[in-house]
Amino acid sequence: MAKRASIIGVGATKFGSVLETPELKDKTFQELVAEAAFEAMDDAGISPKEIDGFIVGNMLSHTSQIYSHATVLGDWLGLRFKGGFHFDTACSTTNTGIGIAWQMVVSGKYKNVLVVAGEILSSAPKAYNPLDREAIDATTLWGWTDFGVDHVYAYHHFYDVASAYGAFPTIGYMKKNHISFEDMDKAMCAVNKAVRTHSALNPKALLYEKGTLEEEAKREGFPSVEDYWKSPKNPFFAWPTRLLSALNTADGATAIIVTSEPEKYNQKMPIDVLGFDWAVSNYPWYGEDTLLPQDKKAFEGAYKMAGISGKDLNYLYVHDCMQIHQLTLSEVAGYIPEGQAWKYALDGKLLFSGEKPLNVSGGRHGAGHAFEASAGLETYEIVKQMRGEAGPKQIKPYPKIAAQHNHGYGMHSAVTVFRAGE
Amino acid sequence: MDTIAKNWYDYLAKGQIMGLKCKDCGAYTFPPLTVCRECSSRNVEWVKMSGQGQLIMFSKTILPAKKFADIEPVCYGLVKLKEGPCFFTKIEGFSVKNDDDIRKENEKLPVPVTAEIQHVKDLDIVVFRK
Repeated sequence: MAKRASIIGVGATKFGSVLETPELKDKTFQELVAEAAFEAMDDAGISPKEIDGFIVGNMLSHTSQIYSHATVLGDWLGLRFKGGFHFDTACSTTNTGIGIAWQMVVSGKYKNVLVVAGEILSSAPKAYNPLDREAIDATTLWGWTDFGVDHVYAYHHFYDVASAYGAFPTIGYMKKNHISFEDMDKAMCAVNKAVRTHSALNPKALLYEKGTLEEEAKREGFPSVEDYWKSPKNPFFAWPTRLLSALNTADGATAIIVTSEPEKYNQKMPIDVLGFDWAVSNYPWYGEDTLLPQDKKAFEGAYKMAGISGKDLNYLYVHDCMQIHQLTLSEVAGYIPEGQAWKYALDGKLLFSGEKPLNVSGGRHGAGHAFEASAGLETYEIVKQMRGEAGPKQIKPYPKIAAQHNHGYGMHSAVTVFRAGE
Repeated sequence: MDTIAKNWYDYLAKGQIMGLKCKDCGAYTFPPLTVCRECSSRNVEWVKMSGQGQLIMFSKTILPAKKFADIEPVCYGLVKLKEGPCFFTKIEGFSVKNDDDIRKENEKLPVPVTAEIQHVKDLDIVVFRK
């Protein structure tokens, strides 16, 4: 049995579109995944020969056209004859993968495990030709994505992601904390301002080139961000949730290398995986309280394993496909006192420079959401922040203890706790 | 093991809204599963649901699910059933054309709603009406 499991390398492609984004254009799924994996290998100073296990995440086989991911990618990643398999917890996949890799290396069976995932959401091969892709419209994409939701009952009873995952948790948060719509709307604008401030500092983010929300408002001809926020350019996706509070889909891939022997490889700080937990419950069957009970359970389990509480965290990343979850989950995590996160957002405390930095790479709106690859970009940010490699969005002092939460549609909750190593 | 989903939809086709009641813990499971959703017991029985509930919240969407993309506008609501479980479905009796109306009506909730069976596309389903 090994004593520890540490992250020694991370990698990520630019998040964008294989149809348009210069860094991604014309790349296949295999090439995207290899690009992320090779960055992680180089970051760790490890060769494919030294990696003895790998696990691969990918949700939409409609666009990757792969079911047997590990066999296909073994060749493309230089990992032929290594132990590999495809695994899936939807949008929490690479977060879950860190826990799986922890078990693989702590058991002693494997020493170095690559957790890798890729997703293409912009387009699908035309007539099975991977080099000739056609764009997918949102309705088609969500038709496939909604296989993440119960299809015996829920889907056929007018399931809708915007109200179920955006509006209802927002209404629930407003009711519970006696927040008026006007105040909630201002808080959600503040959340999005932070999201865009962070993505404007992250070259890998989908919206990096579009700059901050303030810059976008000015480009659109509005005198202030608040005017832009309330304008017809930002309609209600599902009242009280506006369009800019929702995710933006992207193509991309991410990779993480977990080892039991961090001292053998690079000279960079290893990031120890202190604890993790997962919990599931079918959705959209909420209780009267629109918080999902599985989130609390996953946080509690991960904290117990790590021997910490939410108050020990210097940095938190929570799942924010709909940005309301930045507020609800940072409270469930015990990172921010209950009922206060909306005020923290208004006071700018969630920025990388603030008292409680949150989702500093730009989240699933600013960095973009490449379903099973996205959690890996969030881990990438945590590792870079702990090492002091986060550039202009560096949290100071560098975080020592961090946690990452993700939802897998719908709804798997995964929480992992990290500690800056020696 | 008997079929569950087919039985439930067959009951709906005959005009009956059914759920499960747990003989061990007394909780209701709606729609029915193979076990009690609260305590995991398989010691459950089919029971007729009251069809009564309270609408807790509702909204609209600008990205309807693929199956319902040609049916607009729809009011989506969360109903707390008299028997305990919450259920997400279409709500009749509210206009969602205007965001201000959605807001004003949400501020008046909860209100009583009653279940009805509608045939939508290929299935009989349960919706609620104010």
